[in-house]
Formats: sequence, C-alpha cells, structure tokens
Amino acid sequence: MTTTSLPRPVEVATGHEPFLVMRDLVKRYPGVLALDHFGGAIRAGVVLGLLGKNGAGKSTVIKVLAGALKPDSGEILIDGEPIAIHGPHHATQLGIAVVHQELADVPNLSVAENVKLGLGYPTKARIFVDRKGLRRKTRDTLEMLGAGLDPDALVSSLSIAQRRLVMLARGLAANARLLILDEPTASLTDAEIDHLHGIVRMLQERDVSVVYITHRLDEIFEITDHVAVMRDGRVVHSGRTEELTKQGLIEHITGSAEAAPERRERRVTSQTVGDEELLRVEGLTQPDIVEDASFSLRRGELLGIAGLLGAGRSELVRLIYGADPYASGGIFMHGREVAIGSPRDALRAGIVLLPEDRRLQGNIVDFSVRKNITLPNLARHRTRGPLPVPHNGREREYARSVIERLDIKVANEEHPLRHLSGGNQQKVVLAKWLDSGADIFIFDEPTHGVDVDGKEETYRLMEELALAGKGVIFISSEFTELVGACNRVIVMREGRLVGELEGEAVSDAALVERCYAA
Amino acid sequence: MAVDKQAGGVARGPDEAAGRPASARRSGRETAEMILAKYGVLIAFVVMIVVFSIARSGSFPTWENAKSILTAAAPMFVIAGGLTVILVMQDFDLSFGAVIGLAAGAAVALMANDGWSWPMALIAALLFGIAAGAVNGFLISYLGGPSFLITLAMGTVLTGVEFALTDQKTIFSGVARGYTDIGQNSFLGLNNMVWIAAVIAVILWALLDRTEVGRYMYAIGGNPEAARLAGIRTRFLRLLGFVVVGLAAAVVGVLISSQSGAYSPSPGLSFLLPAFAAAFLGSAVFRPGEFNIPGTVIGVLFLGVIQTGLTMLNLETYVINLVQGGVLISAVLLSRLGQRVS
Repeated sequence: MTTTSLPRPVEVATGHEPFLVMRDLVKRYPGVLALDHFGGAIRAGVVLGLLGKNGAGKSTVIKVLAGALKPDSGEILIDGEPIAIHGPHHATQLGIAVVHQELADVPNLSVAENVKLGLGYPTKARIFVDRKGLRRKTRDTLEMLGAGLDPDALVSSLSIAQRRLVMLARGLAANARLLILDEPTASLTDAEIDHLHGIVRMLQERDVSVVYITHRLDEIFEITDHVAVMRDGRVVHSGRTEELTKQGLIEHITGSAEAAPERRERRVTSQTVGDEELLRVEGLTQPDIVEDASFSLRRGELLGIAGLLGAGRSELVRLIYGADPYASGGIFMHGREVAIGSPRDALRAGIVLLPEDRRLQGNIVDFSVRKNITLPNLARHRTRGPLPVPHNGREREYARSVIERLDIKVANEEHPLRHLSGGNQQKVVLAKWLDSGADIFIFDEPTHGVDVDGKEETYRLMEELALAGKGVIFISSEFTELVGACNRVIVMREGRLVGELEGEAVSDAALVERCYAA
Repeated sequence: MAVDKQAGGVARGPDEAAGRPASARRSGRETAEMILAKYGVLIAFVVMIVVFSIARSGSFPTWENAKSILTAAAPMFVIAGGLTVILVMQDFDLSFGAVIGLAAGAAVALMANDGWSWPMALIAALLFGIAAGAVNGFLISYLGGPSFLITLAMGTVLTGVEFALTDQKTIFSGVARGYTDIGQNSFLGLNNMVWIAAVIAVILWALLDRTEVGRYMYAIGGNPEAARLAGIRTRFLRLLGFVVVGLAAAVVGVLISSQSGAYSPSPGLSFLLPAFAAAFLGSAVFRPGEFNIPGTVIGVLFLGVIQTGLTMLNLETYVINLVQGGVLISAVLLSRLGQRVS
C-alpha cells in the first residue's frame, strides 16, 4: 500500500462508547481503490455528515454497512464485537437501516406494504397479514414524517417526492440503531425537509445514530454534529461541524487546501471558440427528470456539464438526442428549430450522442468490432450497384484504419466486442461516430473506466473535434477533467441548470460550490 | 432466445482483457464443448441418416424417398425461414398457424365459392398474409404490446376470419387447375414447391446476411437500445419482420392448398411447433447461438428425416412422439451451450 499519510479515523467524542467501528476497510475494483484503509467510529446519538465528490467512496461505505458489498479486508465492530455483515437482511437485524438515494420501492404495492416490506408484516393467526394493524402502524410512521400520505395508496400513483417519503418512512419503521440517509432531501420541499430534520433530532435524542449524506452544505451545518470528508477512498478530514466554515468544508472536499494537482493545459479557449451558435436549447422539460433547461453551444466550444450523480445530466442529453421524449421546450440547430422525436431525427439534424453505458447502450457485445464500428454509417460501405449491400472488405479496411487511429487493443477487427476490455469498448463507441460528419458531439462519461492514457486521448479527441469547428458537450462526474478540458461548464442539480462558469472561472472549487447547493 | 447475453460477457479471462483472442488458450473440455455446440446437430443429422439407411436399406436411402422428404419439407421451410427473420430480432409469433389457414381458406373459397380467377385468389391470399403481419407488427412494435399475447390473440381473430370466409367447411371442388399445378407439378424432377422454397431460402439468406437491413436486424436482436441510439429504425424493421412472417405463412397456405387441391379447416396448426423447432435447431448449427437461414434449412431437413425415418421403422406413435420431443429438447439445449461457449 502506498498511502503516504495515515488515514485519520472519524473521531466522535461524546460520552458513549462507539456503536459501530470500521477499521482499515479496503475495497478494490479493477483499476480503482474504492476504499483505501477507511476507518471511522459512529457513536450513539450522533449525526454524522459524510461528504465527498462523486467517486470519493461514500457509496462504497454505505454499501458495506448495508451488507450489499463485502470489503476485501478490514473489520467492522458493533458494540465492540467484530462482525461480518452477510447481507441486507442481516444488516437490518444488526440495527442498520439505509435509505438509498435511488428509489428502491415496489410500485405495484401500497404505501403501507412498502413501508413494512421485509421488516415483517403484522399478522393475524400468524399467517394472515393484519391489514388494519399494518395500516395503523404505517400511519403512525407517516405522521411522524409529517407526510399526509394514504397508507392504502399505490406507490405507482405517487410523485417522486412522495415516493422518497415512503422510502424514508421505511427507514424509520426499521427501528434501527444506525440510520443511513443517502441524499434524503433531494426533490423534497422545504416544509418536508424541516420535518425530516425534526425527526433526525428526535432520533438523536433516542440515541439513534444517523449518517447523513447530502449535497446541500447548509443542511450539513444545520443538522450534523460531526462531518467526515472523503477523497479517493480515504477520510481526509473529520471533526466537529461547528469548528468548520463553509469555505473550509469546500476546501476539504476539493482538496484545494493541499497541493492541488497541476491543471492540464486547455487547448480550447475563448480565442479558439467561434461566434456562431450551433445549438440552442430552450426551456427543455420532462417533468421530474429535467426542468426548464436552456443553454447554447457555439462553434468550436467544448462545453462541460457538471453535477452530482442523479442531477439529470445524462437525462438532459438524452432528450436532446431524441432517446427519450420531452414534454415541452425547443431545440434549435443553427438558429432554426428542429423537431427531434428519435435518435434518427437527431442524427439527421447533425447531433450524435456517445452514451454513458457502453455495454447497455453503446455497443452490441455479440457483434464483431468491425460490425459495431460501421453500424451507424453502414450505408457508406456499400458495394456498387443499386442494392443496399454492405461491402465487407471495405468495412474491414475502414474498421482497421479507425482501430489504428484510436489505438484500440484488439488482435483483429473480426473479434467479438465482448472480448475487449472496458476502455477499449469505450473506444469502439468513439470509433462509431468519429467520421459521422455531425456538428454536435455529446460525450456522456466517456472516460468512465478508462485508464490515465486513455483519458488523455479522449480529451485530445474532444479538443480536436472542437478545434475543427464542431460543438462538443462533455459530461463527467470528475470535476478535474472538466476543469482541464472545457472552456465553459454548466452545472446541473436536481434536473435544473443552476450555474455556468466560463474560462478561468472554471475551477474545481467553483464546481463543487455549485454542485453542492450552498 | 438469447436471454443471458450478459452472462457470457462478464466472464472475461486475462487473455481477453489484453485483447488477445480467447481461442488462443482453451482447455480440452472447452474444445469438446465448442465442437459439440457447433457441429452437434450436424453430427446427429448424419448419424440419423446413416442409422435409417442401414435399418431400412431398401426404402430409406433412395432418390424417391429423398424427393418425398424434400417435398414435405418445402412448405415447412418457407414458414420456418420467415420465422427466423423475427427470431433474429428476438421477436415471437404464434399467429402464423392461423395465417396459413386464412390464406388457404381465402384462396380456395374465393375460387370455389365466389368464382375468382386463380391468380386473383392467390394474390388475395398473399395480401391477407401481409395485412395480418402488418397488424401484428403495428400492435407489437409501435404500440408496445407483448408479442406472445398479441400474436396468440391475433391467431384467434384470424381463425375467425378464416371460418367466416369458408363457413368452416371442407372445400374440395372448384379449385382451378392452374392453382393445383403450383403444388403438384414438377420441374427438373423436383416438385415445384421445392424450387419455390429454395428461391425463398436464397432471398431470406441474402436479406439477413448480405443487406444492411439484415445487419440492422441482427443489431436489434443483439441490443435494441444500442441499435436505436445508432439511428436504426428499430420499430419499422420489427414491423417488417412480422410482415415477412405473415407473407411466408400465406405462401405456405397457398402451397398446401394447391398441393391437396382442397381446403379443410385450420390446416396451419400442425406447423406451429416444428417451425419453431427447426429454427431453434438451426441456431445450433453454423453460428451457434444465432438464428440463421442455412441453419434453419438444416433444421427443417433434420425434422423431415426423423419424421420419415421413424415412420418407416413402423414404430408406434407414442415412440415417435417421445423421440421427436426428446431430440428437440436436446437440440435447443445444444444451441444454448453454443451461446455460452462462443
């Protein structure tokens, strides 16, 4: 292990013994150290704020505590006893309840059935579900939350915010000793948030520990006693909340207080960007997903879209690409409105999207590399004659040239795509669109799972497209790479555009500040 | 059908991760599985022919018998070939049995009862097939209906139309001579139907393996979302697939009614299982795990040979059922094996 500094455990000083202690947790994924000797202790009756950028390791910690993931090494102690958490059910038995960020409900069951799901329904004569009892208990929990929800309502009939409340009620109903709330206030109204904070304080008085994860920094100061900031799988700061300022907290999250890594030199700058507007999006809306998004993209621009996971970045570009329908708003190419109802329409208008998930959206894993590369432009490789017959030789030649150009590691172009590594599969997605002749290129997380060299290649490729007069949109969860490549960045939060930074103003700290609603 | 495509992709050894071919290092067991997956059905096919030829050396390995097997297999291939096109796209059709009946009933009833000329009746029958396929395709691909249930229900509807046209009565007179010539005459020693099936086989093979449309169809089967995001008209192509099946079923309706010169109610039902079976058998040959027309040709012949051979052995009906069912199950499992290994 090459850790230079010893990880500092989360010190939480109250009179109680720690309820739960984590020691030296390590979790390694191919190419990534998700947890790097993570340690921490959580005492009874303490609200701990867990912070960090995307990929800092917060969700890995939650998954380990929820029993969804086994660490490679390290130990977890509950009441001083070392314990292995076998699975989600076991975690519940140990008194750990998690309210996940994503909705994990069963839409075709009622509110009451969801709230007590997996916690054991009250029964009559031991085998029949006691519907009245279930309804009453659920109503109590819902009232605690201040949520005026009908226990008999089907979850599928609720709004996203109401479904979040149901998930919260489920967390409360578990009567846990440790409640982990992952972004519990996303999409809640102020009144509902106030209620939630009241409940957290009440739980605190009952000696329940709470781990609170949020992107609203104000909330951290309002509700937490302690904060732990994670970076690269380690705790980089832990301490009492009251000893921190907002500015200090942001510095801990970005690491800018320490020696910041040298910024990559941008090749796309205000000097290289043209004046002509290529794309304009006006008031694009799909309820609960993207709200009233407006922005424009000029010729030669490399525009970043920043945001935390679930902020609606991929969803926004999918609307623009016609992959999902939008309810209202308009998309303008070269100043003229275009009707986009399908990816085909978008391609015709000159927009291409390189989707986020290469396995599920980008490629056909059973196809050969060659067939994947030529799929969107097959008509360019026809044999002579009137019929739409692909010319295999010409396809092969083209595939070979692209493989060489992008340095895709594959023995030959006829190999099935499934045999390629993640990074090389991602390059195949790039290869498909390289010569498509489009004006707008949207890259959704193109460097995800790609090694350092591959990342630099990807930035260069995007820069070359921009310098050649295309418009490039770059979505990334890593602020550093947006800062290193983009001349302008727009920030999304909860489906809305909430900020815009240009030129020298694009910095890690500025992005964190805007992604975390301050 | 390829449900667990992901599973095959997850198991990635260090060789593949480095971009080296998986075939570079393969254990003996994997090699055996590979051979079994790729050639299992072909080997079984040859073994079967040899066994029948020895057991009935006087009647099985003869030109006459081969001709009769080919003639019987021709209509079966036409529908199994059409079915292959939608199976490639992971779609499903249970209504083609009813379309066969509708086409046969329409052609014969229009000639016998309404005095249509045979070419007009033939065209009407084919149009019925195209229309049925288009409705299936529209309901499934554009309105998002589940193909299993939609085609099952459409089958019932179409059988209703068939009975409305024919009064659910057997018709054996009034069928034009020109019409019966189609299925009864021979050309170069083989029944016309064999030549028709051969031409259709070549057309379908070219469509799937040689045209952009075919490439797109395989892409839809491999990953519909990726295909859509690549700008492929996935909905239209799926609809087109159902139209191909509808048309193929109508051709079969015409062939069988012209061969018998008559119509009896619901003649298409006996095609349902063997057509699927042939296509699945075919997906275990040549390109394991992938439906393909040459494979389907082998699948149809395989079934024809078993049927004829077992009958010639004078086995009891229940034995024939047991053997046929068992062979089908083994073949389908073989094709799954192919998918895992490839």
